Amino acid sequence: MSAPTPGSPSPQGVQTVASVQNPLTLVMTVKSAADSQALQALLHKLQSAPPELNPVWVALTKLNTVHFARFVFLDANMKLAVITTYDGSFEDYINEFIDEIGDVFNALLAHMADAPPLPVQKNRQQFLDYVRANDLRAIEPFFSAYPKATVLDIKAAIGD
Amino acid sequence: MTTSSVALDDVQGFIVRTYAMPALRVFALKVEHPALAGRLLGALVSGDASLPQLTTAAPWETKPDVCVNIGFTHAGLAALGLASDGLASFPEEFVQGPVARAERVGDVGESAPEHWKKPFADANLHALLFVFAQTEAALEAASGPLRQHFAPGQAFSELAVHDGLRLPGNVGHFDYRDGFSQPAIEGGPPPPLPDVLPTAPAGEFLFGYQSQYDSFSYPMPQPETFGRNGSFAAFRMLEQDCAAFERFLTDASAQTGMDRELVAAKLCGRWRNGVPLSLSPTTPNPDLPAEKYNAFDYAPTAQLPDAFDDRRGERCPIGAHIRRMNPRHSTVAGNSGLKRRIVRRGLPYGPPFDPANPDDGIERGLLGLFIGVSLKDQFEFLMSDWANKGTFAPGLRGTRDPVLGDNSASDAKFVLPVAGAPTVEITGLSRFVTCRGAAYCFLPSVAALQYLSAVAQGQPAGVGV
Repeated sequence: MSAPTPGSPSPQGVQTVASVQNPLTLVMTVKSAADSQALQALLHKLQSAPPELNPVWVALTKLNTVHFARFVFLDANMKLAVITTYDGSFEDYINEFIDEIGDVFNALLAHMADAPPLPVQKNRQQFLDYVRANDLRAIEPFFSAYPKATVLDIKAAIGD
Repeated sequence: MTTSSVALDDVQGFIVRTYAMPALRVFALKVEHPALAGRLLGALVSGDASLPQLTTAAPWETKPDVCVNIGFTHAGLAALGLASDGLASFPEEFVQGPVARAERVGDVGESAPEHWKKPFADANLHALLFVFAQTEAALEAASGPLRQHFAPGQAFSELAVHDGLRLPGNVGHFDYRDGFSQPAIEGGPPPPLPDVLPTAPAGEFLFGYQSQYDSFSYPMPQPETFGRNGSFAAFRMLEQDCAAFERFLTDASAQTGMDRELVAAKLCGRWRNGVPLSLSPTTPNPDLPAEKYNAFDYAPTAQLPDAFDDRRGERCPIGAHIRRMNPRHSTVAGNSGLKRRIVRRGLPYGPPFDPANPDDGIERGLLGLFIGVSLKDQFEFLMSDWANKGTFAPGLRGTRDPVLGDNSASDAKFVLPVAGAPTVEITGLSRFVTCRGAAYCFLPSVAALQYLSAVAQGQPAGVGV
């Protein structure tokens, strides 16, 4: 899942605007109905916590590379999607990503079919390979209203 | 293995120790006779009195006259007979080498490998031998016995040799005093100046130890006897265009109405005498004690609670050279400001720049070594994300490192935040630093050199280890 070449023509031959942002649509397949139920309970617990106690929130705040992130269940709760828009190259920041949010993925991946070896902290390349293999690529071009602005640019501009 | 037990006498000295020697000779070598090369490598670590010995990181009571270190390219390890499974165990960027990785690190245009000096872009560059010396006489004395092994019919042939020499005032060619900031490495000797940043874990600079990343040690080159206590260096021959840099300072001073030396300080993050802007934003303050030169940060920390919160870069611009290359506790993408540290070694080459004769046509620059356990996560990341992009920190507007970056584009600029006023954009930059050659080197441990020595001499792997 390397970053697209800025300004490269889309499959339709349309010149896209060089964007610092990239989409991730990670769709993970759940092992079993029992795992699905466990996952739903786990995500409910994570997401109902106040932001400062939600490990996803805390990690993404520290990373400062993710614009938006959400979890979505698909296929009658037998697939879990992580849909984000992030800055830069996922691969270049894979180690920082794992350091901040690895434990969340350890908990999620325990319920997934074809999960990489865990913990992801000790199996970093395999985790990267798994994310690449399970990312549904976008049909180019990827639209952004502000393609040159990073999370850090926006936060600085609004005085955050 | 715990980090408290770094085997310093197994580690090449220049990885963790600052020699602070004024002379350096770099031999670029090709393996001509693997068995003789293997014998020579063994002799470098055997106590052989007829040869200068490899310098380890073991503590010394008196500083020696010379220090000797060596690194091998992937092609060099193959030429010495390292088995294919061992060769395949190295990280991809080392296997590919700096020619294949040139675009990633900004070695394009005038810095592209097709313009490099021989033999840096060639497959027959096998090893770099580094001789650091207290005096030029000591350098020559050490070179003699080594060069006997580079003569026709001997172990290696000498493809090129490059000499570096400290300049008066201990400055680089752009006339900045340099070398203040080096990481303190767990288990290693203290750096020359106290480092206020957290001590770097041994595994950030050596194979076989916990790294800077959670519960992670970088996978060792195989077998482990060969990989453990090794590291990597990117060797770079970086030409500096002093005349263009000085002309730019004059031009930027005219653009902004700022004092020329303040412009120079804003580009670097330090005044030319080495005093950091973060501690002295308006004057070069020569009275600042030397031990303070590295005792600063860009945000208040537990270590420096009174540090100025320079999140906008009003004292030290966020795009200044030293803030890009070592953001300390600045807010950066990935929260990675303390996880991409690098050890820097090297010396200037070429005569000092004479402002009275700016266009003398003489090449000058830096023979630099950039050391870390991962070329990809340290050296290459610094060059690609921090030097040549403007997305890792806020407000950089697509700019690049003003000193080191590829600013050859006509719209290249430097953004200068000003307290209580709109940000100033300075134009007219160019590429002040051009890569004239590069090599990715594995820096084996003493045990690994013994292993390599045995392999090259056709002995069963591990004999004598």
